[in-house]
Amino acid sequence: MMTPEPSRKSPVPDIVAVLARWLLGAVFIYMGLNKALHPVEFLKLVRQYDLVTNPFLLNSIAAILPWFEVFCGLLLLAGVAVRGSALMLAAMLIPFTLIVLRRALVIAAAQAIPFCAVKFDCGCGSGEVLICHKLVENCLLIFISAWLMAGRGRQLCLRFNLLNYEQ
Amino acid sequence: MDGSTQARKVLLEGLFVAVIGAVVALAANRFSPRGLNLTRNYFPAGGVTATNASSPANLLAARLQERGIHLANSNQVSQFFTDPRYGQELIVFIDARDEQHYLDGHIPGACLFDYYHPEKYIATVLQLCQTAEQIVVYCNGGDCEDSVFAANMLRDAAIPGEKLFVYGGGIAEWTTNGHPVEVGPRHSGQFKGAPK
Repeated sequence: MMTPEPSRKSPVPDIVAVLARWLLGAVFIYMGLNKALHPVEFLKLVRQYDLVTNPFLLNSIAAILPWFEVFCGLLLLAGVAVRGSALMLAAMLIPFTLIVLRRALVIAAAQAIPFCAVKFDCGCGSGEVLICHKLVENCLLIFISAWLMAGRGRQLCLRFNLLNYEQ
Repeated sequence: MDGSTQARKVLLEGLFVAVIGAVVALAANRFSPRGLNLTRNYFPAGGVTATNASSPANLLAARLQERGIHLANSNQVSQFFTDPRYGQELIVFIDARDEQHYLDGHIPGACLFDYYHPEKYIATVLQLCQTAEQIVVYCNGGDCEDSVFAANMLRDAAIPGEKLFVYGGGIAEWTTNGHPVEVGPRHSGQFKGAPK
């Protein structure tokens, strides 16, 4: 009598989740370093958004954000505190995407050009970009962050949960 | 573990990452040679302010006039450049951009004064400015305000405003007008375009 083979879960989603985690980490390291190595340029770009007028707050945003992105990117690459890091990235990505969207709408109206023709340096760390490309890219990054927050990408992690609680 | 407990744990972990990340980021900024000084006001006087000025050039001129500084146009700057006093350092050009942009190409003989990292340059620049009769400060041109900030800084360092000129067109206009550009350090003797 043949014994039935135990049902095996496909490894493909796990591999995709790990690759997505590495991709998200690498993107943030790249973008963060581009800004961290040119903090004055980033400071000027942050100022253009008119988010804060207080010099200390403005400087703090420009000084901390790039290195914080690199830090979170490294955690994701190494697989440490994955859900917390993904949460932090989503917490930065969502408001930033809305701010960039608002600025692009202002530029499109001021220059009387189609929305997707708007091209500017949003301070993302990749120079001048077409706004529609940027929005799609950010939505994808937000989706990956949410996916990791849901507990995916546990393979090849040094310490998936930073705080020692049962999974 | 139920969903809300899980969410709370993730939030707590996120908070942990935020705190540690902020500390690491502050330390990285502190030890980076290009790090920002958190307490410095890099954009004094609020930057671009709304006035009754009819054009960006008038707005700039009005802002400079408040401090007794002049706005120089392309013709005036060309005259300064060909004036024999330029060779005697009685007319001085100050490049308010960063070192990399300066090395890539600057007005021949201009002195580097990176407004965002003045500590490296201020002694040399002040020495030049104190003996000069006219000082032309420029940056990239267009939306660049660094020349204005640098001129204001020199004004605050007791350089008389009537000696200070901001070249609004900056290096972009200078290059477009076909003037020579010196590459590398000051007086390197290497030029793009026709040398002086």
